[in-house]
Amino acid sequence: MPDKNSSGRIQLNRRAVLSGTAAYLAAPYVISSARAATPAVNVGVIMPLSGPNAQFGINSRNGVELVADEINTAGGIAELGGAKINLVVADATSTPTTAGTTAQRLIAQQDITAVLGAFASSLTLAISEVTERRDIPLLTMSFADQITGRGYRNIFQVVAKASVIGKAQFDYTAAIAQAAGAKIEKIAIMYEDTAYGTAQANGLRAGAKAANVEVVMDDAYPLGITDTTPLINKLRASGAQAVFPVSYLNDSLLIIRTMRQQKVTIPAIGGAAGYVIPDFEKGLGEFAENVLSIDTSNYDLAPELTERFRKRFGYFMVHEALEHAVCLEILVQAIKKAKSAKAEEVAAALRGAKFTGGWINGMTGGAVQFDQSGLNVLSVPLMVQWRAKDIVTVWPRDVAKSAPVWRS
Amino acid sequence: MSLLQAIIDGLLVGGVYAVISIGLTLVYGVMGIVNFAQAEFLTIGMFVAWFAWAFLGLDPVIAAPLSFAVAFAIGWVVQGQLVARVLNAPSVAQIFLTVGILIVIENGSLLLFGSQFRSVTTSYQTASLSLGPLFISVPYLIAFAMSLVCGVALWWFMRASWFGRAMRATAQNPAAARLIGIDAELMYRLAFALGVGLTAFGGAVILPYVTVYPGVGGQFVVLMFTVVVLGGLGSVAGAVVGGLAVGVIQSLSALFFPIQLQNLVLFVVFILVLAVRPQGLVGASR
Amino acid sequence: MKGRSAPCLYILAAALLPLLLDPRGYWMRVLTITLLFAAMAQAWNIVGGLANQISLGHAAFFGIGAYTSTVLLLKFGISPWLGMFAGGALGGMAALVIAIPTMRLQGHYFALATLAFGEVMRVIANVWTSLTGGPGGLSVPFVPPSFLAYSFKLLRPHAYIALAALIVVTVIFQAIRRGAMGYRLRAIRQNADAAEVIGIDTTRVKLFAAVISGALMAMLGTLYAQVAVFFDPDTVFGIAGISIRVALIAIIGGVGTAAGPILGAFFIIPLEEIMNGLLSSRAAGLSQFVFGVILIAVILWQPRGFITALDSLRARLSRKGAP
Repeated sequence: MPDKNSSGRIQLNRRAVLSGTAAYLAAPYVISSARAATPAVNVGVIMPLSGPNAQFGINSRNGVELVADEINTAGGIAELGGAKINLVVADATSTPTTAGTTAQRLIAQQDITAVLGAFASSLTLAISEVTERRDIPLLTMSFADQITGRGYRNIFQVVAKASVIGKAQFDYTAAIAQAAGAKIEKIAIMYEDTAYGTAQANGLRAGAKAANVEVVMDDAYPLGITDTTPLINKLRASGAQAVFPVSYLNDSLLIIRTMRQQKVTIPAIGGAAGYVIPDFEKGLGEFAENVLSIDTSNYDLAPELTERFRKRFGYFMVHEALEHAVCLEILVQAIKKAKSAKAEEVAAALRGAKFTGGWINGMTGGAVQFDQSGLNVLSVPLMVQWRAKDIVTVWPRDVAKSAPVWRS
Repeated sequence: MSLLQAIIDGLLVGGVYAVISIGLTLVYGVMGIVNFAQAEFLTIGMFVAWFAWAFLGLDPVIAAPLSFAVAFAIGWVVQGQLVARVLNAPSVAQIFLTVGILIVIENGSLLLFGSQFRSVTTSYQTASLSLGPLFISVPYLIAFAMSLVCGVALWWFMRASWFGRAMRATAQNPAAARLIGIDAELMYRLAFALGVGLTAFGGAVILPYVTVYPGVGGQFVVLMFTVVVLGGLGSVAGAVVGGLAVGVIQSLSALFFPIQLQNLVLFVVFILVLAVRPQGLVGASR
Repeated sequence: MKGRSAPCLYILAAALLPLLLDPRGYWMRVLTITLLFAAMAQAWNIVGGLANQISLGHAAFFGIGAYTSTVLLLKFGISPWLGMFAGGALGGMAALVIAIPTMRLQGHYFALATLAFGEVMRVIANVWTSLTGGPGGLSVPFVPPSFLAYSFKLLRPHAYIALAALIVVTVIFQAIRRGAMGYRLRAIRQNADAAEVIGIDTTRVKLFAAVISGALMAMLGTLYAQVAVFFDPDTVFGIAGISIRVALIAIIGGVGTAAGPILGAFFIIPLEEIMNGLLSSRAAGLSQFVFGVILIAVILWQPRGFITALDSLRARLSRKGAP
């Protein structure tokens, strides 16, 4: 017990600290109970807003905000009496543990209908461990094979799996080359060694093997590599006719620039991520022209929708923004179908279901169909190509907006 | 042939590692503090140079002195207000104060500048010189040349100028230095500001081939520490030797091992060197 | 010296706390992680505090523990309880392996060598995909809840296990500190050469501390794996997330004291969480920025750790109480 005669300074400090702490602890509960008074649908948006993936996390959040604002301005969700969508945005940071704790916090502090997140597969996996056990649906565009490979019932992935994307990265290239009269017999694969690069590289290898094409160079490199000269030296010596780099932005720029320096002129077909964001073209200028990359979706499939993003945010709708916008659209449709904002009921409405219309027109096939593992079976990877400051879909032919330019 | 190419590449890259790490070893040498936030000044230097390029059209290499000046100023304030207060505290407190500074600078940059990746385009970025069958990357060559300039300037400063000699005196024996009229506190500030300024200078010089974003410093932290400890903490010559060694080890290891293991090889060599020579390659036994 | 009653009271209070919280909820998770990190920092404290070897690579042991128990579970169905001890053994061996080349290194050189070793382990885990699952990470498989299988439906049992772990590690810490080993370690810390002269085998003593610290840290890795359920090399071998964090926690609280790591953990982890909760959606990086500012302020205010503030507080109060 504090001594009554202790100097006033100590008393004040301890009391101040205690009450301050109490205020901190109570604050989230006070805030959330105030919010509970208005009828809104709480959607958790957990993205990496700090750390190396901040750029992508912010893009994703922007995509979700665009759709949420559109729906709210149009009067909210009619089936629930005009309930507005309330985005509860939180930073997943770059550590999976924190992402999981963040998910737990969101779920504890308000009635969450669903969670959207978290771009990076490791973060999504950590969050899914929490949401699965609390029966809350998680919609994501992360594509590591494990995401839909664990038999979980509350995970919904709107794009194809990493191994499928990697295989398409190879298959489409072979097709495009063939259409241009070139034959590829030797390829090089290089990838940054996180889950993303490694998974996609597996797909590339499988594609090459199936086509009996020789992989003359197959190298992982550490994420955050500061000097790609050894990689390109090896590439030059390998005799590959095409190179398939799977990189984030810094390494993608390093690779393309070093290839130029070393006068390695074979075609490079990127693996999404760093190859399909505006900063790629800003960094390379004219050297970005005609660079091909695989992508999981592209904004030119539904320009009438995606131009709204460019108008509001000032850059083209990158695929993570588009895919998260689609996630929210699907969620709202499921809520309407279930006529409820209860997590379990919405999850039931999502399971094994097909969705069309609205932002879903931005996905291949204009529809999303989830199978029992939560994977969208209608999503087909796209090959895109840089033309000036835009990326244009060039393959498969039925969705291409322009013919591919093959420079060999 | 590829061996020669690898060695040349390693030396060029190593020269740059040296210039960004010299500042770290200088701070340790004079103040005895391992500054974990050093790499954040690399980020600051890169941002300054980027803005100079974007708004003033300055080539990053020309803007490098500007990066130096800005980082020097920030370092001066940081040392005076923060680091100076823990000079007599346990070394762990010093280390973790700098960790706190690291967090503040990295996230402060995120708040101020946003998360976008920014890079510059320069005329020589994709150019290379051909020396027979060998390629010499022009941006690396320019960076290496600037590093040499920087290294020589620092060497002259430490040997020939009054400030340099005063700093070295303070490093050797602060009490004696005070006795002969040197303001040790001023020397500490100078050393810290100079050290972070040099790292920022290095940042500007590598901007042509590295993209800047708030977390870019983190890519170099472990590398910088490896360079400095390998060479010998506190020894400027050590930082140079360490930098070149790290560059060459990384480059050569790519010839014999998977590139993914390049850091592994580096760390194993690092641990082995320390096991045999605990004071580093050039460092004096303390 | 404090009486034995005070720590028992704290333990009792700590044991009651999980009963008050929602057993599946957020604060239970925060408490569990806080207790776990307190235990980790305490394990670190054995070398960092008693032997004065600032290790910045303790994640190496942590990751070894997490991977050992999880891989044994995945490949052979072995219970994580047994896997934990296997991990502990491997962690102790790893500590021995690191200690030998780094034994002679002074202060900062030692710190950076251990950092390098932590990174070595991370790269190995990343590359050895057939054993560790590589960068994709590992998920602890779902098994029906049972104590023997270390699987629980609620979070609360995890909190109690973490609390028990903290108590065990603290008891071991105190035993070393107060025993003959502690005396020898203090002697080495004061003056290693003089210690040698009076017959202390400094090498053996330091190795002993290192092995115990490594083994304990590895066992805590298993606890983490079971709580987090999913992890990858970056998480469990991470410099910032594990190595630096446990050292920071011990230092903020007060290195070398039994209460230090506990104070540090109960300050840092909830603070980060609260910052995250309040600020992370406002602006990117804001919560970490504020956390960094607070960290700097705390270190400037108490460079020797909170324990010194508490000690002076207690001293002031007891002075007033004296007749």
